[in-house]
Amino acid sequence: MKILDLLRMSADSLLKRKVRTVLTVLGVVIGTTSIVVMISLGIGMKNSMLEEMESYGNLRAIEVSLPGRYSDESGGETEEKYLDDALVQTLSQLEYVESVSAILQTSAIIRAGNYECYANIQGMSIEAMETMGIPLGEGSYPTPGDELKFLYGNCVISDFYNAKTNVYEYWETGTLPDINLYADPVYVIFDVDKYYAAGGTDENGQAILPPKKYMVDSCGMVEGGPDDWNNYCYYVYCDIEALKLQLQRVFKGGVIPGQPIQKSGKPYKEIFYTTIYVNVDDMEHVTQVQNLITDMGYETYAEAEWIESQMQEMNIIQAVLGGIGAVSLFVAAIGITNTMMMSIYERTKEIGIMKVIGCRIRDIQVLFLAEAGYIGLLGGAIGVGLSYALSALVNRIISSSDIGITKISQIPIWLAGASVLFAILIGMLSGLLPSIRAMRLSPLAAIRSE
Amino acid sequence: MAKTVIQVKDLYKIYRIGENRVKALNGVDFEIERGEFCCIVGTSGSGKSTLLNMLAGLEKPTRGEIVIAGEHMEQKNEGQLVLFRQAHVGFIFQSYNLMQNMTAIENVALPLTFQGVDRKKREKRAIQMLKLVGLGKYALHRPGQMSGGQQQRVGIARALVVNPEIVFADEPTGNLDSNTSMEVLQLMKKIVREKNQTMVMVTHDNYLAGFGDRIIHIRDGKIQQIEDNRLKQKMQEEQNIEDNQNL
Ligand SMILES: Nc1ncnc2c1ncn2[C@@H]1O[C@H](COP(=O)(O)OP(=O)(O)OP(=O)(O)O)[C@@H](O)[C@H]1O
Ligand SMILES: [Mg+2]
Repeated sequence: MKILDLLRMSADSLLKRKVRTVLTVLGVVIGTTSIVVMISLGIGMKNSMLEEMESYGNLRAIEVSLPGRYSDESGGETEEKYLDDALVQTLSQLEYVESVSAILQTSAIIRAGNYECYANIQGMSIEAMETMGIPLGEGSYPTPGDELKFLYGNCVISDFYNAKTNVYEYWETGTLPDINLYADPVYVIFDVDKYYAAGGTDENGQAILPPKKYMVDSCGMVEGGPDDWNNYCYYVYCDIEALKLQLQRVFKGGVIPGQPIQKSGKPYKEIFYTTIYVNVDDMEHVTQVQNLITDMGYETYAEAEWIESQMQEMNIIQAVLGGIGAVSLFVAAIGITNTMMMSIYERTKEIGIMKVIGCRIRDIQVLFLAEAGYIGLLGGAIGVGLSYALSALVNRIISSSDIGITKISQIPIWLAGASVLFAILIGMLSGLLPSIRAMRLSPLAAIRSE
Repeated sequence: MAKTVIQVKDLYKIYRIGENRVKALNGVDFEIERGEFCCIVGTSGSGKSTLLNMLAGLEKPTRGEIVIAGEHMEQKNEGQLVLFRQAHVGFIFQSYNLMQNMTAIENVALPLTFQGVDRKKREKRAIQMLKLVGLGKYALHRPGQMSGGQQQRVGIARALVVNPEIVFADEPTGNLDSNTSMEVLQLMKKIVREKNQTMVMVTHDNYLAGFGDRIIHIRDGKIQQIEDNRLKQKMQEEQNIEDNQNL
């Protein structure tokens, strides 16, 4: 029998029993809808959680730092590890790693007019700034090869205190210091220890002179006002090479604060990095790469780490929700089996005649399977349509209240497609037993039955 | 001279109902030749339907052999039997057994549909068949909109549309009045003869059976007598020629 004829014949016999077909389909519609809506809620919750987390930081980044600097004494003769260019090289050659950026962090006092600020300076490559996507409000990123220039976070200005009164004016009175970080150059004191010690005496009884100040221009500002929090708002960014040069110039072979010292008490020639960020191509690979780096003996941290455990929790919630929906689809499946059984009892004679006049046994089975499949298809398609409508409704109700989640129910196209396919599959599975029964009917007994 | 298409050897069918054993067929032997119109006649319960059903492969014999068109029916499984019927056999039922929700033309085309014939082709052949049985105008009628005689003609058209070598008919006129019975019988005989098909018809009516080439009388599951009409017919024809010459 031609497949088209088979499909038409089973469609005809469904149409012949309209009321029963509609009722059976209705069961599948309800089953499919409840599964889809339940899963869509799970997806919506998961996605809104992901969105929220993405705003906290890059989920594909791994932060590499030195292992427990404080427990070093117990380590004894272990090989000293440093975050240097060689390590950057090694890390960038790992599988799944997209880019690696080194960060040199230092503190300095920035002086503008009467105001001072204890600033956290982050030296990094321009590419790293681009990868992080630091949003610019004014100006541009620093230019490589240029002299040291600062890119200020938008909240840095609120950290300036009046050097005379020692009052953080913005916090106390709400008025911003009367300085313009972007337009006017600032003075920077890198040797913070010496700055605070100035005026006193050292161990030899000699007066400590205040350290030298350096004038530094600005190249840009991070987007946002002094109250708009973001990941970058409290830092001062600059080109890492320029920062290295500057530090070397300032400390002239002396110990740079924050840098390790050799056993002999002398500083290393090289300036080591504070942290290295490894960007992985996909969130899925973060753990794998992270483990590799940890095995190399470094300390690592990834946002994805705790997100993963959160995700697992969400998956369980989603499975439970889906399971609740599955129960109603299971009931619908029993409905299909029942309908098909009834249909076979009614059509026993017809099946017998068909067999006598030459319908293959396989074709008879396919006829009934197709019929059950149609019920699944119809119910699944209508159910998915209904789910979209319900999901839109739920989203509307949720967004009008202020829970903060915009789309709590999301039906991605794969879910819609998979649900229809699943409904067809369930239909055919439910039709399997009846179809085997129809296939096994003895033609003679079938004809005799009235 | 003529080729044997059906060969039945030592055929038994025993039904077991609880402790009782009903011998529906109790050792039957016969042969049917190609192109023959054979009638099986007997009283009710004599085993006619049982015999026919086994010939058509709808039931398995308890013992014995059935060879049709060179193939052993008793050795086939159900799937093979369906294929065999598709290729060689047409079946006409007493109660017509048409699909109630299909039109006459769809009913007639159904065996072709099962064979996988194109829609156009099978409808063309179905309409030809319907014209042949005199129902050209009823192509779009459903069984419920036709008389018994008309329905049986649709049944005949359906059985013959695949050009089967052999046609089985179980009391095809059983539900019809005597006039219609004669019409239907003559129609079947005519078509089958034209195409040199073999026909086996079961009836309990001795008068109708008398139109067969050969008549197998059956009683209590055994063949009582096989009547050969062809000799009589031949003699009659010769007689007619003689009479004409004498005139
Ligand atoms: N499925 C069955 N189970 C048990 N006994 C059966 C079965 N089919 C037929 N018989 C018995 O076999 C015998 C022959 O039955 P069959 O149907 O062949 O008779 P028949 O000659 O066709 O009669 P009728 O002219 O009434 O149709 C009967 O005694 C009947 O009771
Ligand atoms: Mg009978």
